[in-house]
Amino acid sequence: MKIQIQGVGKKFRVRDADRLFTALDDITLDVRAGEFLTLVGPSGCGKSTLLDLLAGLDSPTTGRILLNGTPVNGPGLDRGIVFQQYALFPWRTALSNIEFGLEAKAVSKKERAERARTYLELVGLRGFENRYPHELSGGMRQRVAIARSLAFDPDVLLMDEPFAALDAQTRESLQEELLRIWEKTGKTIVFITHGIDEAVYLGQRVAVMTSRPGRIKRVVDVEFDSREGDLRADARFGEYRHEVWTLLRDEVAAARAEEAVSVG
Amino acid sequence: MASTPTSAPTVSAPADAPAVAPTASPVRFSADAPAGPSAAFPARPSTDASTASPAGAPVAGAPSAPIPAVLREAVAEASESSLTGPSVGRRLWRGSVRVAGSVGRRTVAVAALAAIWEILPRLEVVDPTFLTPLSGVLAAWWDLLLSGELLDHTQASLIRSLSGLALAIIVAIPLGLLIGWYRPVADLLNPVLELFRNTAALALLPVFVLILGLGETSKISIILYACAWPILLNTIAGVKGVDPLLIKSARSMGLPPIRLFQKVILPAAVPTIFTGIRMAGAYSILVLVAAEMVGAKAGLGYLINYAQFNFRVPDMYAGIITISVLGLLFNQFLVRLERRFSTWRTT
Ligand SMILES: Nc1ncnc2c1ncn2[C@@H]1O[C@H](COP(=O)(O)OP(=O)(O)O)[C@@H](O)[C@H]1O
Ligand SMILES: [Mg+2]
Repeated sequence: MKIQIQGVGKKFRVRDADRLFTALDDITLDVRAGEFLTLVGPSGCGKSTLLDLLAGLDSPTTGRILLNGTPVNGPGLDRGIVFQQYALFPWRTALSNIEFGLEAKAVSKKERAERARTYLELVGLRGFENRYPHELSGGMRQRVAIARSLAFDPDVLLMDEPFAALDAQTRESLQEELLRIWEKTGKTIVFITHGIDEAVYLGQRVAVMTSRPGRIKRVVDVEFDSREGDLRADARFGEYRHEVWTLLRDEVAAARAEEAVSVG
Repeated sequence: MASTPTSAPTVSAPADAPAVAPTASPVRFSADAPAGPSAAFPARPSTDASTASPAGAPVAGAPSAPIPAVLREAVAEASESSLTGPSVGRRLWRGSVRVAGSVGRRTVAVAALAAIWEILPRLEVVDPTFLTPLSGVLAAWWDLLLSGELLDHTQASLIRSLSGLALAIIVAIPLGLLIGWYRPVADLLNPVLELFRNTAALALLPVFVLILGLGETSKISIILYACAWPILLNTIAGVKGVDPLLIKSARSMGLPPIRLFQKVILPAAVPTIFTGIRMAGAYSILVLVAAEMVGAKAGLGYLINYAQFNFRVPDMYAGIITISVLGLLFNQFLVRLERRFSTWRTT
């Protein structure tokens, strides 16, 4: 097992409430080495919180997370994160952004640039080395962000709704691209999304979360005979899609109802 | 993959964005100031500029970047058209006409002012004893230049101004970084800062003179004091305004706090800090003149004051012109510098 999430809960102290706020409750989930796992859930159910815990940016209130059998205690270059909002450093060029993570490693300057170039090519952005983020489209920025996370060669790639801000066409091409990269690099990927199609299309397994407090409701195995061709046209794609949709429907309704209560 | 709609065709040229940056400073300052209860200065960040200094100087910094920006615009227009337009020559010509027009318009305004300055006293619409015609002022300026007097005064002023500004930079940037980064320091100093930044610098001039005497120390000190505020406040805002996601992203790559500061906080804050420096540049001249009017033996402020006192009216105006040209050039230089450090900034 690459990642073991064992009975993980997370409570937050909210400023003007005496009770603690439970964001995650008793999450148990294993991720195999080299697996592509997608995590779907209604918004506010704690997906990003769980990712922060996996990244070591925050620690669980209860339970523990093991990475390669050892507990996670802090961030590290064995995990790379890709955020929805790219989080590129605007004062650095595409190439220099990709080098960022390498600067912390003992990699020579020349090798850094070489490696950065390789990964820029991997995400199809050859020729854009010297562009600043504001000179790139959203899709290109996200490619740079992905390249940046891959460049320091982490075991695990954690992605938090990375394509949610992109238009449909760009999103689809980036999904394809990501699958290609995953197959090529053999990374373990945990991919958060609130899109059912995206979850089914990308994931070997789809973990469906409940509305707040987030728990794992069900893990759906997604198996296609082949990933070649138009997966979305496959009849089984529709079945998986429907299955996840059904699991999510009640949760989304619950999340909505709660939102309405807390707003009204 | 590379043929998706996200690729090459949608890339927009680096629109000449930095051109907006320098003029937007007061607004940007408030925009950069962190909102919400965690801010060190929750209330009225946008009034800093006017309260922390003797004059609404950021406005003085605003009408900047005249010719070069226009030129660049025209060139951009010309080169852009060379890709698309049917008639490069015509576009180029139109571009140059626009530059000429813009330069012309600016020149016209200045020329009109000069003409009024010349004509009104000559027609005795205003008393020429109090407003020397421009030609007379320029003649006086020339005499002052030839005698070496003007150079001495300018030099004295520049030394004060630049040392005050330099010291302010040296003191205020590290202090601002500290306050912006360490919450406890901010909490400790916040009340004091609130008090002092709402006290006009020149109100403290007598105190400086009282304690430090009439010499250079008090003059440089008051300039330092006035210049320190915009730099300090902008540095704090710059540090606090760093996108938390960038910090999170860097932290996720295992960056220790010191590296985080060096590689994320500092570069992210640089443009805002430079805005502060540019504002301080304007203050350094403003406060200088006032400081030199009190017990100085040299300097342009002294020249202006002394000339007025001795009824050397043309010399007084010559001094005034010199100081405003100096301020203009100084500001130009700082705007240029600021732009250079903010090219990546898009908004
Ligand atoms: N640092 C925090 N302090 C307090 N509450 C938080 C914090 N981070 C997240 N939350 C709350 O936890 C819940 C889950 O948030 P999040 O993980 O961002 O959800 P998701 O990513 O699934 O949309 C939300 O209700 C959010 O308000
Ligand atoms: Mg989220």
